[in-house]
This record gives sequence, C-alpha cells and structure tokens, in this order.
Amino acid sequence: MLNREEVVERLNHLFRDIFDDDDISVTDATTAADIDGWDSLAHITLILGVEREFRIKMTAAEVGSLKNVGQMIDIITARG
Amino acid sequence: MSGTEFVRMKNGSRPVDEIALVRQLIAEGSYEQALALLRSQVAPAEDFSVQAKASRLVSKIPASALGKPVRVALLASSTLDQFSDLLKLWLAFEGFAAEIWIASFDTMHAQVLDKDSELYRFQPDVIWLFNTHRDVRIEVALGDTSGVGAAVAAAVAGRTSLWNALKANCSAAILDNNADIPVSDVLGNFAGQAAWSRRNLLRRFNLELAAAAPSGVTIVDFEHLSSEYGKRGWVDRRYWYHSKHAINFQAQGAVAFVGARTIGAMKGLAKKCVVLDLDNTLWGGVIGDDGIEGIRLGVGADGEAYVDIQLWARSLKERGIILAVCSKNEHDIAKDAFERHPDMQLKFDDIAVFRANWENKADNIRYIAETLNIGLDSLVFVDDNPVERNLVRQNLPMVAVPELPQDPAEYLATIEAQLYFETVSFSHEDTERAGFYRKNAERAAQMGTFTDQGEYLTYLNQTAEAGDLDRVNLARMAQLVNKSNQFNLTTIRYSESELIRLAAGPGSRVRYYRLIDRYGDNGLISVVVLKKIGESVLEVDLWVMSCRVLARTMEEFIFNDIVGVARTLGCGVVLGRFRPTAKNKLVAGLYERLGLAKVSESAEETVWQLALDGDPAARRTYVTAAHVKKGELADA
Repeated sequence: MLNREEVVERLNHLFRDIFDDDDISVTDATTAADIDGWDSLAHITLILGVEREFRIKMTAAEVGSLKNVGQMIDIITARG
Repeated sequence: MSGTEFVRMKNGSRPVDEIALVRQLIAEGSYEQALALLRSQVAPAEDFSVQAKASRLVSKIPASALGKPVRVALLASSTLDQFSDLLKLWLAFEGFAAEIWIASFDTMHAQVLDKDSELYRFQPDVIWLFNTHRDVRIEVALGDTSGVGAAVAAAVAGRTSLWNALKANCSAAILDNNADIPVSDVLGNFAGQAAWSRRNLLRRFNLELAAAAPSGVTIVDFEHLSSEYGKRGWVDRRYWYHSKHAINFQAQGAVAFVGARTIGAMKGLAKKCVVLDLDNTLWGGVIGDDGIEGIRLGVGADGEAYVDIQLWARSLKERGIILAVCSKNEHDIAKDAFERHPDMQLKFDDIAVFRANWENKADNIRYIAETLNIGLDSLVFVDDNPVERNLVRQNLPMVAVPELPQDPAEYLATIEAQLYFETVSFSHEDTERAGFYRKNAERAAQMGTFTDQGEYLTYLNQTAEAGDLDRVNLARMAQLVNKSNQFNLTTIRYSESELIRLAAGPGSRVRYYRLIDRYGDNGLISVVVLKKIGESVLEVDLWVMSCRVLARTMEEFIFNDIVGVARTLGCGVVLGRFRPTAKNKLVAGLYERLGLAKVSESAEETVWQLALDGDPAARRTYVTAAHVKKGELADA
C-alpha cells in the first residue's frame, strides 16, 4: 500500500502541472474552491491524470462525489 | 536558450525533458520550433493526459503564430469540452489557429433551424454535427423486417434536412458523424442476422447516410474509428453516466486528428506526392551490391512485405497521388530493377520523376518538387534510413517524413496512420493525374532539345477548350478551386453548390479550361469566377490553375477569354486582385505580365485593371481555342 506522504507528493506534481501553478500544495482538506481553475471540466482532466499516475480506476460514482483531496488519497491508497 | 542551441542539443543524443523544452521555446517566442517539437512528442493515440497537457501548452502560443484562422462550430448531445481542446491541438499541428464554439448541450436542431441562432452568428468555416449512435433514432418493432426500409430512410431524412438547413443558412463546410455501432445488443450474435436488430439498422443507416451526403457534407466515419480503436474501449461508460462524454477520452485524440486532417484536406493541405527511396524501402537489400537476383522481393517474409508496400504505392498512384523516386544508386541499375525484376509491382512508368544518383537527397527532393511544380509541403518522403530522414527533416522541414519502424512488415501501418492523403471528394481527374505528371516529365525532357521557347510551344501543338460550368465538370472544378494554393490569385474557396449558384447568377460566370497538346489531354486545369460589378466592370473574383501547365501561355489564353466575356457582357474594364498568401508568390506578377495597370496596393491585396477600349491587342499565346461550349446549367 502506498503511504500518504508519497501520494501527496505525486498529487502535488500532478496538480501543479494541470493547473499550471508551481505553488500548489495540497492537503487532505483541499477542495475545488481552494484551487484556481478547478472546475467541472478540469476535474475530469484531474481524475484522468490521477487514474494514469496511480494506475487505478475510479467508479462513476466516485468521480462525481469526491469532496476533497483527502477522499482522493483514501481511494488511491486503498487501491494503488 | 535560443532556438539554434536547441537544435544542437537535439543533435547530440543527450536526454532532454522535451516538455520543459517546449515550455522554454514558447517563453522565448520560438513558436514554430515549439510546435514542431511538441508534434514529435505527441501521437493521436497518446494518453489523453499527455494530449491535454500539449493542448494547454499550445494555448499559450498566440493565434497569429499558429497559422491560418479557422472557425469551427461543434454541436452535440454529448459533452465536447475536452474534445474541443484536443481538436484545437490537432488543428494547430495542421497549421490552423482554431476558434471553436460549442453549442449548448443538445441544442443542435434549434441552432441549425433558426437562421438567427448563435451558430450562424459565430460565422463558422466548418460545422461539425458531432452525432453518435445515440442520436440515431430508428424505431422498428422486433421481428418487423418489412418496416426496416422506411424507418432507416426516415432517420436519414432527419439528417439530410439538417444539412439542407445548414446549406441554406450559411456556406460553412459540414462534417457529420455516422453511427458508431455499439458492442452491446440483446440479440447477441443473432443481431448480425436480423434486419431489424439495432446493429443492422445502424449498419444500413450508415450506408444510406453516405449515399445521401451531397457535396459540401463530409461524413466522419465514426463506425470505422470506433472499430479501429476497439469497440470495447470506445465508450467509457463511467464518463457517459457521470458527465455525458460519448467517447472514451483515450480515443478522442484519434478523432480530433481525423477531424483536423479532414479540415486540412478541405483547405488543400493534403499531400500530393510520395517520394520513395529504393533499397530497403521498396525491396530488401541493395540493388547496386546484390544485383537483381540478390534483392529480396516477392520471396521470403520480408520479400512479401516489400511487394505489399509497392502495391500500396501503386494504388495511391491510381487514386491520384504522384509517385517519385529518390535513391542513392546508379540510375541505370535502379531502372533495370523496375524493368526486369519479375516481382516488381511498380513499373518505371508509374514514377513521375525518377532520381537515382549520388547527390544529396534534400537537393533531389527540391528538384522533384520543382519538376512537378508542386509545393515541398505537399511531399511525403519515405526512406528506411534514419540518417537520410533526418537530413531531409533538417533541410526541408516542410516535407513530411514519417519515422519508420525497423521491420518493413510494419511500414505500411505506420505511414497510413499519418493520414497524409485524406480527401473529401473524388473526381475522374484523380485517376488520370499520375499520367498527366509523367507526360509532363516527357515534355520537360523534350523541351531540353529546343533552344527557343516559342519553337517548343509551337511543337506542343496546344489547343484549349473553354466552357461554362456544367454538371460533368462540377466536381473537378470544385476540387481545383479548393485545392489550389500556388496559382491562386485570391484564395477564395467555393463549394459545389456555391459554384452552381454563381454560375446561375445574372452578373456572374464560372468558366473552366481544359488543355490538350501533342502528348494528350492535360485535363481540366483552370477555373475562373467572374463577377460583373455595376454596369461596366468585370471582376476576376477567383482564378486558379494547375501548376502542371505553367509557362505554356495558358494564362494568356485564359485572360483573352476573360476579355471576351467582358466584351460580351458589355463591360469596358477587367479588374483583378492579387491577395498574397504564404504560397501564391508565383502569381504576384501575373496581372502585370498580362498588361494590367496597378490601381492600388495594400498589405492585403494589390488591385489591377485593364481598360478594354485602350487594349485592342490580345495577349500572345501558343494555345488555340478548340471549341467554346455553351453552359448547360439547366442540368447542373
């Protein structure tokens, strides 16, 4: 199982790339409201990026119901 | 780092972070290099995340540096926002600065039918009805074979009525998708047998949709694209349920690529000629060392692969793509293989320009383009040798040079995946084109024996047929209008229906010219659109000509004909415009040469005119009129 620190580091890399902002640093509590440009379109690009980075597949329900980065990390660590 | 330093780094084989380099090149304003590098890093089948990233990078390049503007409208009952980004990316690679407008979800009918809708206010060049199988509603009861025909016809009629409305309301080119037949069907295998199964209804729909498509409508073969991608993966149901994405994100790049290539083909950007290497490209081994008996062709596994490559080249030639050879070889030895090897599928006569020598290949390719009178950017160079490929890429970056795999068995799939030769129409002229170019090479050889150009032109015994637009020539005329880039004074593009409309108008004429000479028929080689402005001015709205017949005094013949039309219409002045593009420098001085006077000049255009009362003499031409046909527009 992946540890959370490692996941956070890889997520930071991904977020910075997708949202084109090198200052992003995510935590469990980070939500779409905290990040400039994280709208419903970017959300899908982000999920596809996460699926690719961690070689996992989210369910349709998960794609639609993620509330914060913490939930994302839960899924990644449980499945990755 | 400057662009040149970047090229040096690429030459050394040090590993570099290509994406970081692209970012840097964009930051320093080296847009062309940034795009070229990015293009080399991204394939249509590349992971969506990578293509999305590439698209974000391209969005940082100013539109003016991307190329020609093109406005594309997308209409669908599925979500296309991500697709739109990829389409923009692939259009940028094709040389377009795309502006894309997406209609609100599921408003296709309203947008198309209301002539004041947002769609038309956007003034699109291309309208893409992004339909999928979900948009094809065909109601047939289980087992009702007799109801199939009418139900399918009704579904097709629904689409043709949309096309007709679009054509009535604007002049944009139309793309429409056929049905991507889904894998799931309650009947299982039997679905392939029952005429009324959803699977067979859609198959029939696709065939009838294709048959119903008029000129100006291009069907995007979604059924084929989904098969090619793999139907099980084509739809990612999670994203259909979650956000109404009708196609898997991983397949969208391939669709965007086809769309971009198709739009490119509409604008005359498809490739026209393949330049082939010989040793280890058309046969295995080296003809100079191994001899006719030693090369591998027809026998053995790779020998069979080379036969297929030749058959492919031959069928390209048959559909109108010109073949040329560029090889490091003794000319006679290379030619001998074409004439004597029993398994050669290509004959020496299939090759329009044959360059087998020891000069560098970039020079030879330049020579080939000049001989054929086509742009270097309409060439594809196929060579197994990476050194030659790189030499050509560096010296002639506008020539397409596909990276070939080691194994000749994989050459074809690799080249075909590039979609170099897309077309949106086909005319009889296409099947004869290769012959035209070969005869041109013969003419060029003959010309060398004359010291005087006039003697040569007299020897050619040229006659031309001029006529008004008619049904027989319509497809070829539209093709010439839309494909010509070099001999093109105004670069206005008209669809078939627009040409018909213009030809029927009281103050306009649409004329074609066909040239015949001692070597045979050169085909329909020029089109002009003439518009009467006010009482006494005839404007040359559009004039395109095939570069195959340059320097044969055909321009003079055509202009004399235009003057004749002006006189018939009671006009005292012929007015012409030259609007410069990256490709039409060839005709910058045409009107001056024909004796017109410059009226005005700006960055966008120069305007020329000729007063007919002060111009009694016709321009000197070595082309005589064969016969001037009356228009048959009633038929068109």
